This record gives sequence, C-alpha cells and structure tokens, in this order.
Amino acid sequence: MRSSDDIAIRRVVVWWRRLAVMTRKDLLQLFRDIPLMGFLVYSFTFSVYVTGNGLQTQLRNAGLLVYDADRSASSRELIHRFHAPYFRVDGELVRPEEGFERLDQGGSMLVLDIPARFHESLAAGEPVALQLLVDTTNAPQGLSAAGYATRIVRQFDLEAAITTIGLAAAPSTDLPMIVSDHRVWYNQDQNETWFESISHLLRMITIFAMLLPAAALVREKERGTVEQLLVSPLTPLQIMLPKVLAMTLVILGATAVALFGVMLPVFGVPIRGSIILFFSLTALFVVATAGMGVFAATITRNQAQVGMMTLLVVAPMLLLSGITTPLEAMPDWVQYLMALSPLRYFIEIAHGILLKGTGLDVFWKQVLAMAGLGGSLFGFGMWRFRRQFR
Amino acid sequence: MKLRRIAAVASKEWREVTRDRMFLLLAFLMPALWMVVFGYGLVLDVEHISFSVVDRDHSAFSRDYLYRFSQSRYFSFQRELMSEGEADAWLQSGRARAVIIVPEKFQERLLSGQPANIQTLIDGTFPLRADITKGYVIAINSAFNEDLLVDHLARSRGLSREEAQRRLHRITLEVRYLYNEEVRSAWSTVPALIMLSLMVSSPLLTALGVVREKETGSIYNIYSATVSRLEFLAGKLVPYVMISVVNVVVLWLMAVLLFAVPFKGNLLFFLSTSVLFVLASTGIGLIVSLLVSTQQAALIITVVIATVPTILFSGLVVPVSSLGQGAQLQAHLFPGMYYTNIVRGTFLKNVGPSVLWTDVLALAVYGAVLGAIGYRLFTKRPRV
Repeated sequence: MRSSDDIAIRRVVVWWRRLAVMTRKDLLQLFRDIPLMGFLVYSFTFSVYVTGNGLQTQLRNAGLLVYDADRSASSRELIHRFHAPYFRVDGELVRPEEGFERLDQGGSMLVLDIPARFHESLAAGEPVALQLLVDTTNAPQGLSAAGYATRIVRQFDLEAAITTIGLAAAPSTDLPMIVSDHRVWYNQDQNETWFESISHLLRMITIFAMLLPAAALVREKERGTVEQLLVSPLTPLQIMLPKVLAMTLVILGATAVALFGVMLPVFGVPIRGSIILFFSLTALFVVATAGMGVFAATITRNQAQVGMMTLLVVAPMLLLSGITTPLEAMPDWVQYLMALSPLRYFIEIAHGILLKGTGLDVFWKQVLAMAGLGGSLFGFGMWRFRRQFR
Repeated sequence: MKLRRIAAVASKEWREVTRDRMFLLLAFLMPALWMVVFGYGLVLDVEHISFSVVDRDHSAFSRDYLYRFSQSRYFSFQRELMSEGEADAWLQSGRARAVIIVPEKFQERLLSGQPANIQTLIDGTFPLRADITKGYVIAINSAFNEDLLVDHLARSRGLSREEAQRRLHRITLEVRYLYNEEVRSAWSTVPALIMLSLMVSSPLLTALGVVREKETGSIYNIYSATVSRLEFLAGKLVPYVMISVVNVVVLWLMAVLLFAVPFKGNLLFFLSTSVLFVLASTGIGLIVSLLVSTQQAALIITVVIATVPTILFSGLVVPVSSLGQGAQLQAHLFPGMYYTNIVRGTFLKNVGPSVLWTDVLALAVYGAVLGAIGYRLFTKRPRV
C-alpha cells in the first residue's frame, strides 16, 4: 500500500519538477534575447510614460483663424471666449478668402468670419449671421469643434440679449434657468494621463501575451526541436504550459515595473482596489490572451505566418476593445464581435480595481467571461497541438 | 552593383515568398481585411450612452426635462433609481455611465422665475466619453433653458412666442463643413487606414523575411557569395516593396469603390508618394531585422515600434496638434504622420505638392536615412 502511495507522490513530484525545468528553460530562452528584453523594458516604461503624458483624445488646441470685419467691443469679446483648452487662436486674417488657403495648408482647423456692423446689429436687436468654416478631414474632431463653437456663440448671444432686453441684472440669478452641475466621478479632473497610461499598459500586455508564446511555440515547430521534446517523457501540456507560464511571469514583472515605476509615482494613478486581485486577474488575462496565441500557433507552420496571423487579430483588438475609443461609439456588430476579445472585459476590470475601487462582487461576470474565453481557446489549442504530434 | 545579381536575389526571395502560400495570402489579406473591419467598425460617433435618473420632484417639468434625454439617440435610458446610493452602485458597476439627479421643488422654482439646479454624475474612467457625455448634457440642457426663457420673456412682456424667440436668438452661426461636407466618419478614417495597413504590413513583411534568413542560417550562403551588400539588400527588399505597392492599389480601389470616399487629388502624385512611403516604412523593417537575430524579437519589436505609435500618434484617431510634447516628437519620428497628411490631403482636400511638399520631403529623407543606416549596419562579416 505504502509503496504505491510513494510512487503516486513521486509521480506528482516528477510531473511538477518537469514543468518547473521546462519553465526555467523558456525563461532562460527569453532572457537571452537581449533586443527583445530591451524592448520589453521600453514598452512598459518609456512608452507608457510618453503615451500617458502625451495622448489627448478630447478636443484640444483646435486652431482657430478669425476674420474680424467689425473690430468692435462685441467682436473682441466673442473672440476672447474661444480659448484654451479647446481652442487656440492662430491669428487674424486680412482677407476673407485667405481662410480657405490656410485650411488647405492644414495646421488650423476653423475659420470664424465676423461681419461688419456686428456690434451695431446686436445693439439694435437685429438678426446677424456669423460664418464658421470647419475642416472635417478628421470628422469627429471637426464636429466636436463645431459643437463647442456653437455653444460659445449661443451663450454669448443669450447673455447679450438678456442684458439688452433688461430681463435680469445677472443671467444666473433671477431667471427660470436650469443650472446643470456636473460631477465627474472616479477621475474628478478628467485627467487623461490615468486613462491613457492604463490603456497603454493593457495594450502592451495584450501584444506581448499574444505574440510571445505564439512565436516561441512555432519556433520549436519550425526548427524541429519540438520533436525532441515530444520523444522525451514530457506530455504536450508540459511543453505548452511552461511557455505560457514563463511569459506570464515576465509580463507580470513588467506590469509591476510599469505600475510602480511609472504610473504610480509619475502620474499618481490611484490603486483604489485590491492590488493582489489586480495581479491575479492580470495573470488570468495574460493566460486567456496567450490562449489565442497558442491557437494561432497550431494552425500555422512558421514564425512569419504566425506573426501575420496574430497581428491580424491583435490590431482590431487594440483598436476596437474600448481602450482607444469608447465602446459606445461602435456599431452593434463590432460590439458583438468584441465579445470574443478578452481585452474588452479586462478594461472594465482594470478600471474597476484601479480607479473605482470595486471588487469581484461587481465584475464577476467579466472575470467569468474572460476565464471561459481563455479556457476554451487554450483547450482548443491544446487539442490541436496533441493531434498534430500524435 | 549589377542589376543581374539584384534580379537573382529578388527572384530567389520571390520564390520563397510564393512557396509559402499562407504567408502570401496573409500579406494581401491582412491590409484588405483591416480596411473592411476598421472602415466599417471604427466609427467615432458616441451614441447610446446608458444613463439613469433620480427624480425627486416627479413633476411635469422634470418628466419633460428627462424625456429630452431618453428620446435622444445619444442616450439610452436604463431605469429610474430611488436614491443617490443606488446611483453610486450603478456607476460603479458600469450599468450607467451617467446619472441625472432632479432635486425637489424643481418645477416650483422654475415656475416662480428662479433658477433650479440639476446634478449630473458622470463616470470619468474614460475621459473622452465623459467629455462627450458632458457636451451632450450641456446641449440638451441649454435647449431646454432656451424654451424656458422664451416662455418667461413671452409671459413677462406679453409678447408672442415667436417674437420672444426672435429677441433672444439674434446670432446665427452658419457652420460650413469643408472637405468632408457630410461629415462622414468613414471618409476621414478610410484614407488614414491606407496608411495604417501599409505602415504595419510593409515593415513586418521585410523584417520577418530578412531575419528568417539569419535564423535559419541560410544567410551564410550570401556572406560567401559574390553578391555585394547593396545588391543583396536591394534584391531582398524588391518582393516586399512590390507586395506593398500592389496593396496600395488594392486599398485605394477599396476606398474609392467600396467606401465611396471621393478622391479629389492627383492620382499620380498619390501613387508616387505612396511608393515613397512604402520605401520609408520598409526601411524600419530593415533596421529592425539587422538588429535582432530571432523572428520572435523581430515580430514584437516591429509591432511595438510600427503598429502602436501609428495607431496612437499618426493622426488616425487623435490629431497631432492635440498631442503632448513627447508624443508630438514621437509622431514626427515616424513616417505615418506625414503620409496621413498626404493621404487625407489628396483624397479630401485636393491639395498637391505645393502644399504637401514638406511631408513628401520628410518621407524621402526618412527613407534615405534609414536606407543608409541599414547599409552601414549590414555586414557580410558578422563577429559572431
């Protein structure tokens, strides 16, 4: 009895030891690739810093050119209202036609044309028309700028009208108006560095988690070293899992560097939830994403193929999962398609833990979806891998 | 430098590419597929923002006010909540991105000619979405305010509504959209997608092609052959540049025929600058391939330095002018930005070399510098 127990225990020990040895081998192989490691460090430090610091998705500094034919107190007052952060007045035009030329050249985005007698018309209560030319080669930004401009002009108009008519001494006190008060939660200053640095971290995790194991696995296939491994006492799981484990360890380490080396000290990203939970779920996300890479590795024959294949999938994931532009902006079919992207769930989790301070009770559905997705992709990859080398 | 040798290297490389059916297929399929997915999928009109309300007033006014939100296509009404605590939970779980709170005596105050406060809580985790949500709230709010004011003025001065409206609304802002007159999202993204597809695929194809030879060791044949460095590099790049040039034409056709984006500029100018861009971006792949020794590293590094900065800093989503300083620098360091100016300029603006010459020059310099560095880095006598 005892000896069969011993054998069973020894088997388990040997199984785990083999796994550990293989993981060590894969780690060594990774660390030896110095350019690759250099880029890993770059991606999780400098790159996160530049993106967090520099990327502004809200409308900022839209260049405005003014043709002011009136040159009155009113026109100056109106122009004065177009200010930072949304607008940047690029200067006045001498001739109205100059506007088209300047927009053709690029650089400025809008041209505001104020007609002569603007001030007089306002004082007399006559209607007056202003013209705004908007460069819409970037449609959303153009629309956004036009929206802000309309709002500014409307507010100016209303305030001037109230004073002219003499409805109230100050527009905000004695009038039946709704004062809309906004409170932005979780990120009061709408600090984009938090969002962008988190997004960028997720972007980098996704790229490395998908590409590294895929390429490593295909390399063994391509060079034929996988045949050596398969004739050894290792099971296919013991060949595949160490790759994923090694990459996960490396990526978690890099994530820690990005979080504690850049995002926390430089950008002051708050960690409002549990940090242990964050790293555990990051590990789950890495494994789920690696599952996609492993799957790609089993349907391709060489590294060039797997590279193209994974990139084909990675780019839509990066652009459409809701880390670059909001999911609300996307057509329904994209939202359904992105149900297949683990990143789509992980962004909610990362924001939840880091910014909102929520836990598993709030986002257990996302965790479940991610685990299910990762598990099935991994299982499918495993099944294909076994079949190929039977 | 002999043309015959270049042709020999090129034909060898071409054979290698065509032998790998899947690689060849992906080389043509990837840009086209991206064009379809992003062209139809990367729409940036934020709509259906989920919101909830806490209505403490339950009056005709508050219902009217909230109705304006729920019937707008920008908002998608979830349900009415009872307390601020509940609002908190809804925001935390992401079931609502905004909660509008109407205070007590909302109607009473307005009817008596006094201002009333409305509070909107917005989920700020995604600043762009928060900003857009705020913009929509302000717009709907001011439209409602205007109606209130018109009513007030009409009542207090005994005017007709039209007259009151006329007195309050004197300035009209005539907005004229240029270049993309119907302000279609696809018209601005699709041309930039040509840039994205090329910028990602051409360096990748090149880097993988060259490193493959290093990794498998077949490059030793080249080291010991009579072919010179320049001949080898030129011949090696020819097939990949050709693939990318074919892709330029395919992508252009897709943009014009499938997405019906108007092409207002000069086709010859567009095609020649595109070739220049392909050469410049191929140069990135060349440099990467000379610095690394494994395809795995080549793959990741190319993706990190070509794909990511291109998605973020080339003007595809965010205009370069609204980037921070470090990011602006990075934008200028990669060819994507210059080519985005050229593509959008030739497609939508009908501008030519007279306006875009700086961008063309930048691409040419870029290609030349990368080519020179690549030539310097490549040696037939590696020290290992």
